Amino acid sequence: MAAQPDIHLYTTQTPNGIKISITLEELGLPYKVTKIEFSKNAQKEPWFLGINPNGRIPALTDTFTDGKTINLFESGSIQQYLVDRYDKDYKISYPRGTREFYDVNSWLFFLNSGVGPMQGQANHFGRYAPEHIEYGVKRYTNETRRLYGVLNTHLEKSTSGYLVGDRCTIADIAHWGWVAAAGWAGVDIEDFPALKAWEEMMLKRPGVEKGRQVPDPHTMRELSKDSDAAKKAAEETKKWVQEGMAADTKK
Amino acid sequence: MSKPITLYSHATGPNPWKVAMVLEELNVPYDTKFMDFADLKKDPYEQLCVNGRVPAIEDPNTGINIWESGAIVEYLAETYDTKHELSFEKGPEKYQVKQWLHFQMSGQGPYYGQCAWFNKFHPERLAAPTERYDEQVKRVLYVLNKALTGKKYLVGEKCTIADISFVPWNEMLGFILGDKLASWDVEKNYPAYHAWHQSLLARPAVKKTWEAKQKVASGGGQ
Repeated sequence: MAAQPDIHLYTTQTPNGIKISITLEELGLPYKVTKIEFSKNAQKEPWFLGINPNGRIPALTDTFTDGKTINLFESGSIQQYLVDRYDKDYKISYPRGTREFYDVNSWLFFLNSGVGPMQGQANHFGRYAPEHIEYGVKRYTNETRRLYGVLNTHLEKSTSGYLVGDRCTIADIAHWGWVAAAGWAGVDIEDFPALKAWEEMMLKRPGVEKGRQVPDPHTMRELSKDSDAAKKAAEETKKWVQEGMAADTKK
Repeated sequence: MSKPITLYSHATGPNPWKVAMVLEELNVPYDTKFMDFADLKKDPYEQLCVNGRVPAIEDPNTGINIWESGAIVEYLAETYDTKHELSFEKGPEKYQVKQWLHFQMSGQGPYYGQCAWFNKFHPERLAAPTERYDEQVKRVLYVLNKALTGKKYLVGEKCTIADISFVPWNEMLGFILGDKLASWDVEKNYPAYHAWHQSLLARPAVKKTWEAKQKVASGGGQ
């Protein structure tokens, strides 16, 4: 008798966080949510560091097949775990050993080592940094644009509209939250028509719509298009981002 | 008998060498093709890797072509590590290996890369970004040291693809930071990290690969 899932997601409203809630919604899995309050530095509290020594979200716990608790961090490996264990009908993945299985992994790593970190740096220099450094803003906005160009070129050739094969996979889900926040990083999605069409197609999926609202309403799409509201929201976030950076420096 | 895998590589970049180390560890035959940066952003290479970056591999045994170093080493372990010498077949450890591999490629790689850029390659020294990425590198060292305290390896009792994946960037810290690295006193401040890295470097497959890299990087032939 296999252990029943007992999934608990520790998250906040960010592109990396909503990857997991969208994956869970797409798989139709029940899960509990604990919101990690960045503004209160909850990600550095000892109980959370016990789950994720890296002090970042998302993290996830579950009852493993042996009946004991498994703790996982790193959004990409959490997605791999969820489909490996629960996606027996290959709704958002492919069978191990197939060409598509490995293509999904290439795109998943592309997002997590490329788009995520580079767009994250663009956000830092464009939105949160204590001083304005023009070179920093340009370097990372340009690299994000390059990566979006790679995605756009690839999607132009896709017959299904998705990144790999005939279906939406964890690779598409991993990208969505970042691409939906393009404007926040100073990238105009209008320059990438195939990527824009993909982003809108993804949003029509019920699992994306429901999962993106976890743990708080997803406002990044609208903020990305409204520069005044974005500036105001960035000011509010800037304070705790800089406090967190200062705390890390003291280690 | 398996046919050799083709590994597309570059002399100086760290990521192709993590793939070479795993191939060496698993005793999988392979041929290395060293690419010029100029050839990466056009066909035929772009047909193989649409991102125009190394590494990528072509495996004639399975017909699978794959890019992104993290995805490649997962593929190699799943396909060729049938005795599970560098991976786990099941259990929580199977997923914890993935977790640390993801931390390497999303946490170590991008930050060490930016640290290298602002310390070594950018034409002028920019204080704030240099400091930012120095601090990020220290944060990664801190997390690794904490995770490794009381342990020999990141997951379970054996060296896995997750451990191996950190070696190239670990080893490039001296090149990135130069004299500054001494002031960080890595051995004293991150002792578990330091012992782990030294033990990885001493592995014959790792040692052989790194020596080959140094030879190629110094123009000593391919």
